Amino acid sequence: MSELVPGASHLSGPNIMDAARYQEDAVVGDEIVRHKLSARFIHWAVALFFVGALFTGLPVWSPVFAWMGAFFGGLQVCRWLHAWLGVAFTVASVAMFLQWFRQMTFDATDRGFSVAKYMNSGSVQEEPEVGRYNGGQKFFFWAVGLGALALLLSGTVLWWPTTFPIPLRWVAIILHDIAFIAFFAAIVGHIYLGTAAEPGTFHSMTRGTVTKAWARMHHPRWYREVTGAKSKATVTELGKKS
Amino acid sequence: MATLQGLEIRQSSAGLRGTHTGIRNVPTVSKYIDTTICIGCKACEVACQQWNDLPLAKTEQVGTYQTMPETQPNYWNLIKFREVEPVEGFAWLMRKDQCMHCADPGCLAACPAPGAIVQYQNGIVDVNPEQCIGCGLCESGCPFDIPRYTAGSNKMAKCTLCVDRVEVGLEPACVKACPTGCLQFGEKSALLEMAAHRVGQLHADGFKNASTYDPPGVGGTGVITILKHGDHPEWYGLPKDPHVPTAIGFWKKILHPIGFVAMAGAVFATVAHYMSVGPKQPPESSRNGDDV
Repeated sequence: MSELVPGASHLSGPNIMDAARYQEDAVVGDEIVRHKLSARFIHWAVALFFVGALFTGLPVWSPVFAWMGAFFGGLQVCRWLHAWLGVAFTVASVAMFLQWFRQMTFDATDRGFSVAKYMNSGSVQEEPEVGRYNGGQKFFFWAVGLGALALLLSGTVLWWPTTFPIPLRWVAIILHDIAFIAFFAAIVGHIYLGTAAEPGTFHSMTRGTVTKAWARMHHPRWYREVTGAKSKATVTELGKKS
Repeated sequence: MATLQGLEIRQSSAGLRGTHTGIRNVPTVSKYIDTTICIGCKACEVACQQWNDLPLAKTEQVGTYQTMPETQPNYWNLIKFREVEPVEGFAWLMRKDQCMHCADPGCLAACPAPGAIVQYQNGIVDVNPEQCIGCGLCESGCPFDIPRYTAGSNKMAKCTLCVDRVEVGLEPACVKACPTGCLQFGEKSALLEMAAHRVGQLHADGFKNASTYDPPGVGGTGVITILKHGDHPEWYGLPKDPHVPTAIGFWKKILHPIGFVAMAGAVFATVAHYMSVGPKQPPESSRNGDDV
C-alpha cells in the first residue's frame, strides 16, 4: 500500500484504483473510497438477478408484457428461469445484507429524516450529523430486505404447484404481487437517486469513489470522520482503522 | 386446439381476445348427469380413458367401490361413491367427478399464459398444452379442484368434454358408453328443460329437495347434475356455492391495475422531480465530464 500517496492528484490513476479495491474510507487526493470492489460486485449481482427476475416475471404477471418473454425463449422458459433467478437473487441479497447490515442501524439523526424534505431541499448540505448512510438509505436497506424475504417465501409456495394448500397459494399470489410492485417502485426511485438526481453517486457504485465535495454535501459526518475533521487523514492511518 | 378444430373462442386466459365474429349463433352445449339413476358401473371412466388415449391407471382401494381417491392428470372422470346418513334412513350417493366447464371459469381467470385455457363459443373449457407454462395457478382458481398438474410434462390436464368429438357432431365418449341413460348431451337449454322435468318426477316421488346443480356463482356450469338431495350438494362432494375465489378476483381486477399505476407512477414521479426540483449538485467537482 506504500504506493498510495495522499494527495495524489488523479482520480483514475493506479493509486486510487488500488485503494478503491480494498480500502473503504481511504482518502486519495480529492477522492474518497466509498464502496470497495467486493461491495460493488455484490450490489451489481443483486441488481443483475433482480432485473433478470423482473423481466422473466413481468410477462407471466400480465399479458401486456408477454413480448418480454420472447427474449428468454417464451413464457415456458420464463416460468422456470424466473424461479432460479429468484434463487440467485436471494443468495446475492443475503450476501449484501451481511455486508451492510451493521452500518444500517438507525441513530437519532436518521429518525429525523424526512423523504419530502430530502427530495425538495435542492443542492444543500445535509444535516451535519448525517453519517455514511442517511435515514432514507437505511430505511431502503431494511425495506428491501423485508421485500426480498416476502418474495422468497411467496415465491417458494408458487414454485411447486401441487405441494402447498390452495389457500396458502392465494396468499402467496397476492403477497408476491404486492412485494414486487413495491419493489419496482422502490427500485425506480433508487436508480433515479443513484444517477440523475445525485450527480457523483453512480461513480461510487462503478469505480468505487466519490469526491470530497460530494461527501461533504451528502454525508457530512462521514466526510469529517474519514478526512479527520479538517485535516486530511493519511492512508496508513485509515488502513489501521479498517 | 381451437384453430385446428375450427371452433370459435369465447374467452381466453390472460386477456387474449376471442376469435368469434359474434355473427353466428353457436348454442351452449352441456352434459346432463342424473345421479339418481347412476348405477356406478364406471363405463364412463373406461370410455374416457379409451377415447382420450389415456394410459391404464392404477386403482386404489379407498373402502368403497371408487376406482381411486381423486382424479389424476391422466384420469379425468371418476365416479365418487359416498355413504351418508340423512336425518332418517341411509343414502348411497354416486357422482361423476369431472371438469364442470363453468361459464365463468376460475382456472381461466387465474391462468397467466395467453391462450393456455380457452372457452369455446359452445361453452367447453379446454387446455392448450402448447401455451400452458405449467405454473399450476389454474388449480388455485378452480372451485371444484379439477385441474391436474402433470409432473414431468409440466402441463395441466383435465376433461375436455370430448371437444374433438363434439366438434364433429358426436356426444362425449362417457355419454356414449353410459348404459342407463343417466348421461345425456346436447344444448344446455334443452337439457335444463329435461332436468326440470326429472326434478318434478323426483319431487312427486317424495324427494322434496331434489334439484338441478347448475351453480350461479360460476355463471352456471356446462355439466348439470341432478341431485336427489339438492339441498345438500356437499353430501356428494360438491361445493354449496362455488365461485371464482375472491383472492383471484382481487389479484386480477384490483391488484393488477394498482400495480400498473404504481409502476408507471414511480417512473413519472422521477421525471417530474427531475424537471421541477432537479438534481442535488455538489458545490464543486474536480471530475470534469465524469460526474455521474
